Amino acid sequence: MTTTTLTPSLTMRVRPWLAVASLAAAGIATFMALVWAPPDATQGDVYRVMFVHVPSAWLAYLAFVIVFLASVGWLWTKSAWFDSVAVASAEIGVMFTGLTLVLGSIWAKPTWGVWWTWEPRLVTTAVMFSMYVGYLLLRGLSSDFGRRATRAAVLGIIAVVNVPIVHLSVLWMNALHQLPTVLRPSGGPTLDGRMLATLLSGVAAFTLIYLYCMATRVEIEQARRARALASARP
Amino acid sequence: MPAMEASARLDDVSVVLDDRPVLRGVDLDVRPGLTVVRGANGSGKTTLLRALAGLLPIASGTRTVSGEVLILGHRPQLLRGLSARENLSFFARFRGGDAGGVGDALARWGLAADADRPVERLSAGQRRRAALARIDQERCGLVLLDEPFAELDRDASELLEKALARLGDDGRAVVVATHGHESLDAAAHVRTLDGGTLR
Amino acid sequence: MAAVSFTAILVLLESLVVGPSLARQPQLASALLWIAVLFAALLAATRSFDRELEDDALDAVIALPGGKDALFAGKTLALALLLGIVALLGTILSIGLLDLAVALPGHLLLVAVLGVAALAPVVVLVVALTVRLRARAILVPVLALPMLVPQLVASTQGSSAALAGDATGSLGWSGLLFAFALVYAVLGLTIVPAAIE
Repeated sequence: MTTTTLTPSLTMRVRPWLAVASLAAAGIATFMALVWAPPDATQGDVYRVMFVHVPSAWLAYLAFVIVFLASVGWLWTKSAWFDSVAVASAEIGVMFTGLTLVLGSIWAKPTWGVWWTWEPRLVTTAVMFSMYVGYLLLRGLSSDFGRRATRAAVLGIIAVVNVPIVHLSVLWMNALHQLPTVLRPSGGPTLDGRMLATLLSGVAAFTLIYLYCMATRVEIEQARRARALASARP
Repeated sequence: MPAMEASARLDDVSVVLDDRPVLRGVDLDVRPGLTVVRGANGSGKTTLLRALAGLLPIASGTRTVSGEVLILGHRPQLLRGLSARENLSFFARFRGGDAGGVGDALARWGLAADADRPVERLSAGQRRRAALARIDQERCGLVLLDEPFAELDRDASELLEKALARLGDDGRAVVVATHGHESLDAAAHVRTLDGGTLR
Repeated sequence: MAAVSFTAILVLLESLVVGPSLARQPQLASALLWIAVLFAALLAATRSFDRELEDDALDAVIALPGGKDALFAGKTLALALLLGIVALLGTILSIGLLDLAVALPGHLLLVAVLGVAALAPVVVLVVALTVRLRARAILVPVLALPMLVPQLVASTQGSSAALAGDATGSLGWSGLLFAFALVYAVLGLTIVPAAIE
């Protein structure tokens, strides 16, 4: 159990730097996205939603992959640190999946003319969102630490396996039935160099924000756990 | 029949349930023969047995158990809808044993006449007897009994005391958690649980 | 028995509400049937551990060596058999009520068998994850429904292809259902037992 005592101090040292770095990166990315990147030839300024939409989708998937890894880690080692990472990442992931869906809708209305379309990526993201809301519910409704962690870990692994399966099945359904697909700008907005750089800076900023949130949330979870364990020792 | 040898050890084991510490730094070495764990209600006796059986996640410390374990909780834990005979046969066959002796085992516990009635139609005491008959049928090396005297009349209590003596003679390890029955103490290691700490 | 009558009522109601002329379309008829089967599965699954939960018999079973795996396998098999009956009777009922023309009965049967085999392990897995939680009744559908999207899509599409006479389509979806059944059976036997406590 050395990790439980070492890790909080490590995250505590790193956290202020992560805060500064993510603030700076967010500032730079905002400037690049709103001012520096040129308007798109067909979409005008609307396409700038992309600079938050894509990074937040990236974070959603990243967060759930981390949940998966942490779940495996918990089942393997039963070290409480992994469970803290899993819950932290799941909460952040649910938030960013929700954000991705909302931003996607906002972007879809002016470009595709509808708020929602039954395209595989959208369906997968929506299903993923409800699956991880369920994950958080399962955690919230089981009281005992060890059992909660194990149940959640098993679900965290199954959910990750489920995501590509959902995507595949919806993809097949659409391919076979040619469900009404909305006209999309072919290949999306063509990215020039400045757009790409802006997008990458957005991804970097979001990743830093994720790391900061993770460090904070893991620290909180660890503190709770330490308190429960401290009273368990004679 | 599976090998009857078994050993069990808990080293500095803590168990936290519902964010509440139930066991604190428990050391226990279960040897062949009878071990009696005493303690008031809520002192952690049930949790200790369940931790030994591996039915609970351990917050810290280590659990080492070899051999087959039979745990009987403070409820009979029989499958509803099946008779006592079917229950015992099921559990015995699951362990890879044969169910030949089930009738004898039930008869020894005074259930010959009621062996084929669904367990939910039996009285609480009869259900308890049927559960205890598993000790004879499954022959596990480590037997954990949680308040086994509850619901038993005098006859059945005597049967159980005899059974415990028999288990000790066979070299099987038995842990009994109870707050009464001081008569057991003479032939047993006695440990006392107090607020989650084992003395 | 309860699951069968539940499905029958659901199929009847759905067909009535949608309107028989619409509900006759292969796509819709199979969607209605599989939704009914799915609900029957959730209904049956939440009750499927009742016998073990009574009198804490679950403890006795999971304390047996290999008890958890056997529990998962046994429950999955039992649920699959029950759902097989439900799906079969539901299909017969739909065909009768809606006067469906079945182009490929053999394919329809294959999809039904594999669909049930793909449905059961996921439902049992979710029930196993939530066993002994007080909020089980609500957690089971909340967790199972999004997870069952692929199974529902595949079995609906497969049945509808079989009804409409598209042999390749129904075989393709059957293959997918078989893969799902396999993946979840493996998951159920490897990592899920760890969570049964």
